[in-house]
Amino acid sequence: MAKRRWLERLRDSEQLRRLQLLENVPLFAGLNRRQLGKLLVKLFEREYRTSETIFVQGEPGKALFILLAGRVLICRTGHRAEEPLATVTAGGYFGELALIDDQPRFASARAEEPSVLLILYKSDFDDLIEGHRVIAIKVMGNLLKTLAGYVRKAQPQGSGRAAMMSGPTTAKDRTAVASERASRD
Amino acid sequence: MTEERTAESSGQSGRAQSIAPPPSIIWALAIALVALIVYVSRDFVLLLFLSGTVAYFVNPIVKVAESALIKRSIAVTVIYLGIGLSLLATAYFLFPRLRTEVNALSSSLPFFGDRLDEAIDALQNEIVSRYPAADRLFTPREVRNDKLNQFIEQQATNFPGLVSHLVSLVLAGVLVPFFSYFFLRDSRKIVHFVLDRLPASHIETSVAVWCEIDRIVGQYLRGLAIEGMVIGVVAASGLWMLGINYPLLLGVLSGVANVVPYLGPILGGTAALLVTLVQFKSLTPLAQVFILYLSLKLLDITVVQPMAVGRGKELHPVLLIASVIVGGHALGIVGMVIAVPTITILQKIAKLLLERRRYSTQTAENRLSTHVQTQPYVC
Repeated sequence: MAKRRWLERLRDSEQLRRLQLLENVPLFAGLNRRQLGKLLVKLFEREYRTSETIFVQGEPGKALFILLAGRVLICRTGHRAEEPLATVTAGGYFGELALIDDQPRFASARAEEPSVLLILYKSDFDDLIEGHRVIAIKVMGNLLKTLAGYVRKAQPQGSGRAAMMSGPTTAKDRTAVASERASRD
Repeated sequence: MTEERTAESSGQSGRAQSIAPPPSIIWALAIALVALIVYVSRDFVLLLFLSGTVAYFVNPIVKVAESALIKRSIAVTVIYLGIGLSLLATAYFLFPRLRTEVNALSSSLPFFGDRLDEAIDALQNEIVSRYPAADRLFTPREVRNDKLNQFIEQQATNFPGLVSHLVSLVLAGVLVPFFSYFFLRDSRKIVHFVLDRLPASHIETSVAVWCEIDRIVGQYLRGLAIEGMVIGVVAASGLWMLGINYPLLLGVLSGVANVVPYLGPILGGTAALLVTLVQFKSLTPLAQVFILYLSLKLLDITVVQPMAVGRGKELHPVLLIASVIVGGHALGIVGMVIAVPTITILQKIAKLLLERRRYSTQTAENRLSTHVQTQPYVC
């Protein structure tokens, strides 16, 4: 009992709270606490006020964002106006494609209410998975499952082969996939 | 009337806009002001820089503790206590041997000039006996003695400066661990504080820049420490095997001097050659020590540097040497040490900012069409 109390005194309650949140993020499913702890020290925290822009469509994607608290709107600016694609709530994540390639952001992200975000920079993530094979396999596996989900959801709605080639690039497809994910979260 | 006022006020605002300096000038002034402040308080900046360096060495251990959810303040305190005890233990075992060597060297120092003179004469005779034509190359003993005396007198005039440097060193020895402790303990809070005050839309680039700086400085410092240790140990072992005096002292000097690019290995090698010359007064041991230091440099370039995460590997060799020269002119030895990471960081930041600028002028579709190879099916 005394030992347990000592351990509690040593433990960082703030980090523990973040770790518990990371345990519920689908992208990190399957990682144990030790592996999540290694990931945790790579994260940056930032608070956003209502209507503050997190990233802008077309800018280089460099990081993954995990929502600790609040609500974030993902939207895409088309030829005419801005189209909302999805709303991410606490425990959700976005900008995951930045971990894979060096392409520009497909959409913009904006805080709909005061929000707290954890930011994982791509090179930090690369460094982490380079030294930890198990983390790499599990996270990449989860990421591939997410991407496969996008593709499968997009196929029946597209018109034949052309839609299959382009993948979930239309706003309609993204909305469908995003609403599915939001309901799952 | 109202329209007139509006027109007037718009005219005024238009004039005010034309008077306001462009952002580039404001940025240039801000950078110049920061540079001036840094220059005026350069001693303090150097102290902070050294504290930051110590913090960088210890940070990976703190991160391991933090990943196990241990409070940062407790982890840092325990690690500092551990480092303090390790340093005391090292001093206890290593210092008696090192002190013996230093004492021996200091007792023979008053006669060093004469012994060096004798050694040079002996070496000259040896070379002339083997190659008589080389006699014309050597200067007479009197001229050489004059030059040597001039050099010693010049060093003696610098002595008060050396004493004040020693006082600064002792002060730094106390303040650097103190500052670095607080840097380490509060680094997460400092980063959080800065991030919260940066413009929201630039956070991604700012985090990228910070992470790159962190990665480059961390790699460089850890590489430098590993390199210094390996060079020091190998040099001390090699000199000990060749039977050269003060192997430990020369090994430590070679390891420490190695942090200065280009000049460091020459400094370490020259000290070892001088000791060998005075001790043996012969050409063969000199050649052996020369080959040892040459092999050490080769070992450093081919094995140690690539393993210790090749410092400056992202830089063009010309840029690397130029940065060391400019750093040396601006800030002396410290400038030479920090030149390589500074120029690597600047290069990386410029690359990130240019990339951001390039993306803003290019549409996403264009980039996708030029960079991604798609296949004609998804299944």
